[in-house]
Amino acid sequence: MSAPHCDLDVRPILREGGDPFAAIMQAVAALAPGQRLRLLAPFKPVPLFHVLGARGFSPSAREIGSGDWEVIFTPAGVEQSEEAPLPSHDDDDWPAPDLELDSRDLEPPEPMVRALQAVEILAPGQTVAVLLPREPIFLFDELRARGHHWRGAFEPEGHYRVVIRSGGRERS
Amino acid sequence: MMSASSLSRWTMAYFAAALFFLISAQVLMASGYGFPTASIEAPETLVVVHMVTIGWLSLLMCGALFQFVPVLVAQPLRDSTLALPALLCLLAGLLCLLGGFLQTAGTIDLDIPFLAFGGLFLPSGFALVIWTIGRTLWSVPKSGLSLPARFVAVGLTCAAAAVALGASFAWVLSGHAPALAGTDVLAFGLPVHVAMGLGGWLGFTAIGVSYRLLPMFMLSPDREHGTGRFVLWAGASAWGFVLLARPFAVVSGSAALPTGFAGVLILVATVFFAFDLIFFYRHRRRGKIELNVKSAIGAFLVLYCSILLILILVAAGTFAEHVDAVVYIVGFGCLTGLGLSMLYKIVPFLTWLECYGPVMGRVQTPRVQDLVVESRDRVFFTLYYAGMLLGTGALLVGAPILFRVATAMTLLATMAIVAELVVARRLVNVGATLRLPEGASRPRLFLPHWHAR
Repeated sequence: MSAPHCDLDVRPILREGGDPFAAIMQAVAALAPGQRLRLLAPFKPVPLFHVLGARGFSPSAREIGSGDWEVIFTPAGVEQSEEAPLPSHDDDDWPAPDLELDSRDLEPPEPMVRALQAVEILAPGQTVAVLLPREPIFLFDELRARGHHWRGAFEPEGHYRVVIRSGGRERS
Repeated sequence: MMSASSLSRWTMAYFAAALFFLISAQVLMASGYGFPTASIEAPETLVVVHMVTIGWLSLLMCGALFQFVPVLVAQPLRDSTLALPALLCLLAGLLCLLGGFLQTAGTIDLDIPFLAFGGLFLPSGFALVIWTIGRTLWSVPKSGLSLPARFVAVGLTCAAAAVALGASFAWVLSGHAPALAGTDVLAFGLPVHVAMGLGGWLGFTAIGVSYRLLPMFMLSPDREHGTGRFVLWAGASAWGFVLLARPFAVVSGSAALPTGFAGVLILVATVFFAFDLIFFYRHRRRGKIELNVKSAIGAFLVLYCSILLILILVAAGTFAEHVDAVVYIVGFGCLTGLGLSMLYKIVPFLTWLECYGPVMGRVQTPRVQDLVVESRDRVFFTLYYAGMLLGTGALLVGAPILFRVATAMTLLATMAIVAELVVARRLVNVGATLRLPEGASRPRLFLPHWHAR
């Protein structure tokens, strides 16, 4: 058993117009080895996924009502406690996404930019899952041109979920 | 250098030609050519009317559909190589048609059957467009067609009817259709030609496209509502009644019944469309909306003003007298207003995608909205609508000089908006450090790059 979550609620900081970044980094620095960080935020803190992802944390996010999110950052080597967002019906050779981006509330072309930014930092074979408001036709073009692979489908809630696997070096 | 395959190669060329015809028509109107200086059925007026309806609005719509329909159905455009021949046919056909009208007006004296050529090239061009887009729509299972795609399918059917009637007028007027010479095909089909062209093809398709674009730009939920489907079915039935009105009149002696049905259905459809517009607006997740959406809302407000105007004129019994003002406010207020609004977003968006697509996610790129300067363009859109409303008023009170002044206002506004689109294509508003990062592809003004990615 690993240590209990370290809880950090950044909602009051943001409500008062402050920047929670320093508080988050302090909390991360104070984590015991193997300890998870449980973050509560008034939005899905996607940029933080990249920052902490670079430090070996994988995020697992869920909406907890009134637009607030709970994200558990699990350090590398520790089993994720939440169910990982797997591409449910896909083949086994696709690893679970290292990153889950929720771009449903972004105006085009921002979802495409974020997805490609995320793919760029993946190692070959790693995957990222992206939620989008609709089927991303232009993104598919760009992925094809860059030699990445993807699998996508509409979810029952009406949005589109695509899992992209980095093909490594681009072809174009 | 590179271009994504989902970018329609010839759409910018369609847009450029469309804007050329819009500005040319406005120049003619401001200089007093055609209506109201000439009569409403004078060939000079027909020149201006077809420059606007075919040259501007139809080319704009075709260019937009080539880009938009593949995105709607998530399928590549079928026979996309036909887009260029279609454009050339449409341009040749329109020039022949205009030449034919100028012959009738006595402006040019050449022994070439321009009208008949127009009656060949224009239907060929439209047939190619309808074939390409129709096949693309057909490539998905019928049950999987989204609501906007269904609107487009109905719009294309109306276009086919309007073009077939228009072509038969051209043949009859040029004396190349002896079989039809005995019938008064113009009196028989002209109202249907106008209703199908302006309402069914341009209006209905624009409404369908708005069902996808507005939620996209306002970040509203775009699940299909019962109201949207009702607008589709009411509208489609209305156009059916419009088509049947004349044959019905031949049998029963009066077209009043189907025409009345069509009128009521169109009215109900626009009311339900208003519910959807309000729904999109109230449920938008984007607090601050951009100029293109604000201007599109303006165009829809004008649509409801024009419906109110029609109802008032019908109630007062003066509709026939003021049909000019109605056609003007629909053509220049709703359709051109909406067209310019959408271009103001689509051109920067496609330019951005073409230019920065290859480097997206690797280097910092400007935002799409950095390609234009909304604060100054707001003035031009306001000027456009002000000029258009003044022009409608001038037509209603019969003040031709005021109408020319008002048209000059819309001309000025249009030229300023077009200049901004050119500036956007040239990336002038983007700071030099971000303008062309290594690997980005500088877009050409309106012709495609020859070697695709």
